[in-house]
Amino acid sequence: MVATPVRTPAEQALAARYPAERTSLPGTADVIAIRDAAFGGVEKSGLPHRRVEDWKYTDLRARLKTFPPAAGSGDVARILIAAPAVEGDKARRLVIANGRYRPELSDLEDLEHGLSVFSLATALEAGDATAIAALKLDDAIASNTAVALNTAFMTDGLVIAVADGAEIGRPVELVHIAEGEPAASTAVRHLVTVGKGARLTLIETIESLDTVAHHSNIMTMIEVGEGAKVDHIRLQLEPDEAVSMTSLVAKIGREANFDTFNAALGAGLARAQIFAEFVGRDAQAGFRGITMLSGRRHADTTLSLIHGAENCQSRELYKAVIDGEARSAFAGRIAVPAHAQKTDARMMTASLLLSEEAEADAKPELEIFADDVQCGHGATCGAIDEDLLFYLLSRGIPKAEAESMLILAFLGEAIDEIQNQAVHDALIHRVEGWLKTRAA
Amino acid sequence: MLEIKNLHARIGDREILKGLTLTVKPGEVHAIMGPNGAGKSTLSYILAGKEDYEVTEGEVLLNGASILDLEPNERSVAGLFLAFQYPIEIPGVATMTFLKAALNSHRKAKGEGELTTPEFMKLVKGVAEKLNITSDMLKRPVNVGFSGGEKKRAEIMQMALLQPSICILDETDSGLDIDALKVVSEGVNALRSPDRAFVVITHYQRLLDHIVPDIVHVLSDGRIVRTGGPELALDLEKNGYAAYVANAAA
Repeated sequence: MVATPVRTPAEQALAARYPAERTSLPGTADVIAIRDAAFGGVEKSGLPHRRVEDWKYTDLRARLKTFPPAAGSGDVARILIAAPAVEGDKARRLVIANGRYRPELSDLEDLEHGLSVFSLATALEAGDATAIAALKLDDAIASNTAVALNTAFMTDGLVIAVADGAEIGRPVELVHIAEGEPAASTAVRHLVTVGKGARLTLIETIESLDTVAHHSNIMTMIEVGEGAKVDHIRLQLEPDEAVSMTSLVAKIGREANFDTFNAALGAGLARAQIFAEFVGRDAQAGFRGITMLSGRRHADTTLSLIHGAENCQSRELYKAVIDGEARSAFAGRIAVPAHAQKTDARMMTASLLLSEEAEADAKPELEIFADDVQCGHGATCGAIDEDLLFYLLSRGIPKAEAESMLILAFLGEAIDEIQNQAVHDALIHRVEGWLKTRAA
Repeated sequence: MLEIKNLHARIGDREILKGLTLTVKPGEVHAIMGPNGAGKSTLSYILAGKEDYEVTEGEVLLNGASILDLEPNERSVAGLFLAFQYPIEIPGVATMTFLKAALNSHRKAKGEGELTTPEFMKLVKGVAEKLNITSDMLKRPVNVGFSGGEKKRAEIMQMALLQPSICILDETDSGLDIDALKVVSEGVNALRSPDRAFVVITHYQRLLDHIVPDIVHVLSDGRIVRTGGPELALDLEKNGYAAYVANAAA
């Protein structure tokens, strides 16, 4: 006898949506086949629950109450006047509203030589072989539920290419905006390739103009070419009602330099996944992020890094500040295959608990098969240090302000690694806003 | 100015202060000396409002008002300053940010507006210079990477900036070499005034060569067991605390 698991409302909504939408989603028959395979996997296994190791701390089956319908096109006027999340960064803003790239709202003037920007939907409709090939993922990534749902439902995204040797001075900012009511779902896929020796700063902001339970699922795939330098920073700023899933897939080439930073500041349920791999030797990468949680919010950062080539160096630093009854989870896996000698990896996660009910889970995993490597990991979890607090109080600083200073100092170690000053300042401003709300 | 009346305090089940009484008048410098474990640091922490200690009896008045129910920051803006025996390092908090927050908290409590950045910089630099505190030190996080002497000088700098009415110096001489001791003492002496008082807690007489007290107390087993003039410190230096410890044990 085969047991048929009871489908949750979210699973039922998924099962109803996909067959109805599959042929109207962008893409040729090849693309539909890829979507079918991805959705088939999710339908077969259902949403992952806590007994699925990768989702141990984020039981999607229990936490995902609904799966809202696909987003409409949105109110252009409202999207147009939305204040930018980052001011003064001189970035080239490319707007993705309700899951669709909006060139008419984007800054495409004087595109730098060597930079090209296209719509993924257009590429898939046209049967673009490169774009379609990029949808074919390693099994371990393809089978991940958030990734599979993205593959099944993606409506658009950007195909960005930086030519060999091109140094793109202006940061490229992918502005994701959800607009409208009632709650809707969006799935967006970006394909970014950065050529040999090229440089790019890629910023992503994710926001919602309405405090409703929008679901966003954004996947960004970045290929960092040989000797290229890529700085990726994401500010996830959705309201508490929202569900936010991001997946970053990065392939880091020989002698390349890649940094990614994720600020998980929003959404009631947030999952940030990173699947990164060193595919060439002598490369360097930094994986960092902060999470700030209050109320009953839940945020999960899951990092899987394959140190797949010799003499590569990586630094991982994730910090979480958790108040109220919120919960933060961090899982970091670093795999070092036998040939990846001289690997140097140091992973650290630290959580600051601001209330009795706050919870932090940390799960570092190292799988090392090479024998000449340096791999370290550490995890700390604690409350604000009473001695530090007393010292500040003893100088007349009121408790709320003193705590804010210490929280900011705790996060600073990660935030201060952000090279882009405008994004750094924008993030500090957001953090201070969070702290002011808490102190009030 | 500062009146401590029959103060009893404990940490956990251990009673540390057992009826301590002390009156400090404006302009006076009191030294409190005593053997290890007498309760000297406990006294300073209780005055500053550290939570680990429980006051079971007695009272502490600052300018006539009880401070035992005040939070540590409220005591600070009321005019009490503790120079820590072991100043705390605070990674990630810039010294200037910290000083500005402290100074503005005091100004706010007095109903004064915040200082502008140039006014603040000028004020800090003036005070820092006198204590041989370099601009490099001011650029670092609070006390981070400071030597023992630098930390103590930084404490005196904070004291000079906040202009307290009662200063508690907890073993400010510990960890100082002769030169640093002189700088710190000069910093303290420069702050002596008819409306400011000091309680100098120390093991050793040598600090009192530089900061000359008006009154010297011996603290042993949680009580003041003897009070005298500066000559008492010399006597202690010569004969040690044995007599007082024996008294306490008896």
